[in-house]
Amino acid sequence: MSDAAAQVGLPPVTPEVEHEEGKGRGRAFLGIPVIGWMFLFFAIPYTLLFLQSLWKPTAFGVAHDWNLDNYKLVFFGDELSGNIYLPTLLRSLKVGALVTTFSTLLAFPIAYLLAFKIRNSRTRLMLYVLVIVPLWASYLLRAYAWKVILGQNGLLSSVLDQVGLQNTFLSNLLYSQTAVVITMTHIFTPFMILTIYAVLERLPPSLIEASKDLGVGRAKTFMTLVLPLSLPGVIAGATFTMGLSTGDFVAPQLVGGPHDVMIANQVYSQFGATNNWPLGAAIAFVLLGCVAVLIAVSTQAERREQL
Amino acid sequence: MITEPASSSGAPSAGAPGEHAAVELGNVTKRYGDVTAIEDLNLRVEDGEFLTLLGPSGCGKTTTLRVIGGFEAPNRGEIWIGGEDVSSQPAYKRPVNTVFQQYALFPHLSVSRNVGYGLKHAGVGREETARRVDEMMHLMQIPDVGDRRPRELSGGQQQRVALARALVMNPKVLLLDEPLGALDYKLRKEMQFELKRIHREVGVTFIYVTHDQEEAMTMSDRIVVMSNGHIEQDATPAEIFDRPLTAFVADFIGDTNIVHGVVTRIENGHVTVDLGPLGEIGGSTDDAVVSGDRVRVSIRPTDVRVEHGPSGGAVVQDSVLVGGHIAMKITSGEETVIAHVGRGSSFEPGSDVRLHVDSDRIRVFAADQPEAAAEQPAADQA
Repeated sequence: MSDAAAQVGLPPVTPEVEHEEGKGRGRAFLGIPVIGWMFLFFAIPYTLLFLQSLWKPTAFGVAHDWNLDNYKLVFFGDELSGNIYLPTLLRSLKVGALVTTFSTLLAFPIAYLLAFKIRNSRTRLMLYVLVIVPLWASYLLRAYAWKVILGQNGLLSSVLDQVGLQNTFLSNLLYSQTAVVITMTHIFTPFMILTIYAVLERLPPSLIEASKDLGVGRAKTFMTLVLPLSLPGVIAGATFTMGLSTGDFVAPQLVGGPHDVMIANQVYSQFGATNNWPLGAAIAFVLLGCVAVLIAVSTQAERREQL
Repeated sequence: MITEPASSSGAPSAGAPGEHAAVELGNVTKRYGDVTAIEDLNLRVEDGEFLTLLGPSGCGKTTTLRVIGGFEAPNRGEIWIGGEDVSSQPAYKRPVNTVFQQYALFPHLSVSRNVGYGLKHAGVGREETARRVDEMMHLMQIPDVGDRRPRELSGGQQQRVALARALVMNPKVLLLDEPLGALDYKLRKEMQFELKRIHREVGVTFIYVTHDQEEAMTMSDRIVVMSNGHIEQDATPAEIFDRPLTAFVADFIGDTNIVHGVVTRIENGHVTVDLGPLGEIGGSTDDAVVSGDRVRVSIRPTDVRVEHGPSGGAVVQDSVLVGGHIAMKITSGEETVIAHVGRGSSFEPGSDVRLHVDSDRIRVFAADQPEAAAEQPAADQA
């Protein structure tokens, strides 16, 4: 083929193709550090944890006695303490769903504003930085900040007292599920803004102009064009937020009440306090399963959006 | 320097009695901060016309189109469409539709839903919409791609979908913003004829924006050449080519040589110019020049004849084959002249030659006209 190419005066193509293939082979070993890392710090610990969940707890350790009792306990409870883990898991999923809903509702308008409404690039940069700044502070610090705001003599209740609204339900929000949801919504909204903004920013303005050009007004254009086209960003952000907030244990511990314990707190106490590692591992794997299902569903949804 | 008589007031001037222009702009000015995109623009587009706004990037042609479409609000001036003042109407209420530069097809909708988008939201029934979409896609010769997504189509097909989506709305005026810019040369040529055919078949007024003078020449009934936010010339393609009003137009439309000289004689608008070593030349002008004025003369490379013989030190510098003809670069004193000659009549670089210019297309421009033309890089783009 290269002979024929030479005959008609074209540059030979074959050596270049070989060169490209050689490059491809050469690049393969670049993946080794990543694969090695994932194997060492991901695959091995998860395997060990999974094995742990199939063993039997004893008074001072673990008996390598294969069984599914830990999982039975998670799903069905026992006569002694009743069913405590499944309701906790469901509550965690509910909190996760609430946090996801609220942070989406908060994040979308801000992302929309950033992407379309603010023409001045300096103002946009400033707003963008304002969105990111909270991420510079530690999670714990931000959770503690909400303690200060929501507490009995906290910022919110003082302000309410000033305007003559003493002792409303807003006056003592601390140590409740509401406080947990507020705190986590605050924590996760920036991530949500960034993922939605990333999608909106790439939306060509000419699409919106085309819609208006075809006689479709502002609100309808938003519903039929902007919203569906921003769904991949919303789905990505929601998956992220849902996964992380369902498995959160800091917010419930700091601002939640005794009845607001979430599933990750259970894992924590099985490992840290009760010293029942097999049960802790089983709970962790059930949670992992939930998140895996969530990610599978959202990936599917995202793929459908992109077709 | 607007030499073309334009309507002097904002109100629509009368065209043919009792008839409204398809589009009329009255003293439209649009500024972005300190930058004036279009200044005091007056333009009348007749019903059913294929009008091209032609100019280099930054000349204000796209801004003019966006002002008509309602995507930019002018700082001053009036916009009339079909005899109705639409200056304060938003884009979605104006009876015009646009074919966007990158097509702007909705990626999440199938082709037929793209084309039917406007009709659906206008409340046209499902069956009626389907019928009109189908009809339009037949007209565009893409009847079988309705179920596909835009990204699955070739550039040329996407172009047709964009046209169908705009034309299915039965606009009074179709605005086209460099619609062929993203296509390769061959497809672009093909689409030029397609656009002409579609224009003939639907009879809608087309306002077409391009920087490609060849494209403008091929398709337009009338060309408006723009530069720096104002109209340089507004005329038919032939007139623009043969009788450019300004040095800018002469340089922008087709290849030309701009050489400098001094006026020696004027008779009935026919000017004789002394070009120094290149000799004397006669040409026409629309500028007010008198004997002794320094002027610039536009000579088309195809109008230059090259002959043997020493004369005034004209020397061939270079000679290259350009498709069907040979372009020769010849210097004479300080002037450089490009001549296009047939393949048989070329000369070796270094030859002494004599130049003859014999054409009624020679144009003479006053020297105080803005020199912008020579500095516009876009003038080279074909």
